Amino acid sequence: MFDYTVITSNAGLLWQGLLVTAYFTVLSIGAGLIIGMFMGLIQLSPYRPLTWIGRIYVEFFRNIPLLVTLLWVYYAFPIFAGINITKYWAGFIALSCYTGSFYAEILRGGVLSVDPGQTDAATAIGMSYGQRMRRVILPQAFRKMIPPLAGQSIIQMKNTTLLSMITVPDLLYQASYISSFTYKPMEIYTAVGAIFLIILVPLTLLSRKLEKSGAGAR
Amino acid sequence: MSRSSIDQGSADMTATNKTVLRLDRICLQFSDKKVLKGVDLEVKEGEVVVLIGASGSGKTSMLRCINLLNTPTSGSIVIDDEVIFHAEAMGHGRSSIAAAEVNRIRAKTGMVFQQFNLFPHMTALGNVMEGPVTVKGEPKDKVRTEALRLLDLMGLSQHVEKYPRQLSGGQQQRVAIARAMAMQPKVMLFDEPTSALDPELVGEVMKAMVELAKSGMTMVIVTHELGFAFEIADRVVFLDEGLIAEQGAPNDVLLHPTHPRLKSFVGRFHESADLLRPFLEAREAQRG
Repeated sequence: MFDYTVITSNAGLLWQGLLVTAYFTVLSIGAGLIIGMFMGLIQLSPYRPLTWIGRIYVEFFRNIPLLVTLLWVYYAFPIFAGINITKYWAGFIALSCYTGSFYAEILRGGVLSVDPGQTDAATAIGMSYGQRMRRVILPQAFRKMIPPLAGQSIIQMKNTTLLSMITVPDLLYQASYISSFTYKPMEIYTAVGAIFLIILVPLTLLSRKLEKSGAGAR
Repeated sequence: MSRSSIDQGSADMTATNKTVLRLDRICLQFSDKKVLKGVDLEVKEGEVVVLIGASGSGKTSMLRCINLLNTPTSGSIVIDDEVIFHAEAMGHGRSSIAAAEVNRIRAKTGMVFQQFNLFPHMTALGNVMEGPVTVKGEPKDKVRTEALRLLDLMGLSQHVEKYPRQLSGGQQQRVAIARAMAMQPKVMLFDEPTSALDPELVGEVMKAMVELAKSGMTMVIVTHELGFAFEIADRVVFLDEGLIAEQGAPNDVLLHPTHPRLKSFVGRFHESADLLRPFLEAREAQRG
């Protein structure tokens, strides 16, 4: 039998977990966007060493599983660097760096998808590299980037569940905690799945709508 | 007809002796393909020079070299007495001109593209104002007045608040001309400005360009429309395989070519334009 009372009586813990999940989602998306913007733009710069730094960053974080990065930042990095780091900082750093590498690729792709004739026209009226980017290329690229950015951000919310591996009390961690003393994993994990669906399905639909209006704006 | 040739005469008179643009031994190479093999060109103030030639002869590349959208392999380029590019052959003696300087000198040229390349996220007015506001940092209200004047000159006063996608190709191209003119260039460069247009829209863009020529603007035009070249040019330059094969007055180059390649090139034009021959000869006699 499906016992709803397990969920309702532990709703407080689930709510706390959800807040932590939301908190890490928003913060790591924000930091990831800044990292991605920087790493994406330097890959497009005319200076070779900078493009290599960007390239190496992206390939590094894209090709290591997020769980490995997370565990490494929490357990190995403090030993290498000889510092102490809380699990919250470790989670934030790993999530941000990981998603930043994906945002960097989205940004790079968005900029490259802008017609080269736009660069020609902006250059021809005397614009510098920075002016071209700011006034002509990025405004057009951002429009094309909205759907993939939304998609990556939705993935990012799901990725935060890995935080439970380093005992950050997110939604999934709270669920495993609740099931450890109620012995009702079926109800609890079903509830966690439902919570993700309730939050992410509307967001997915919204991003699809943006995709359509974005295509119309061209 | 006679009236238009009088106007043509006055356009000729706007050419002075001051050199606005000089290309010296320009070579351009893409990986292993030599596109330009040492091109010299001097353009006087007020002069209208038309570049013709077969596809792949280097016309567009030459035009794009003038404002360094393509960087030549060697040669030198002087715009309005300022060196914008200089590099000796074999990579020796390359003098580097600071990027900011290049941008400043480049703004002395205005360029109009085959595909218009208007900024799609800005209105017609926004497109025209963009250069003076962003590059020159001029006050917006002053720029707006001048931009509205230019758009009016291009016959677009009804369309200033429209976005490029709401305009026809001919209208877009006229906005592009106004955008280039807003930087008050010393020389205007046109890269096949009518090639992407529907036939019924070609005329309005040509008319705008003829008006510009009459106002004394120095122009370098790449075009396949030889009739238009005949109408607007003070000098026609024929490029063949990366070299200037022949140049001179439109009469000489288009009606009495000597270079064999040019003969066959304009031959096709003459065949299709045979109906116009009496008109052309009448004008030739008048100019003679």
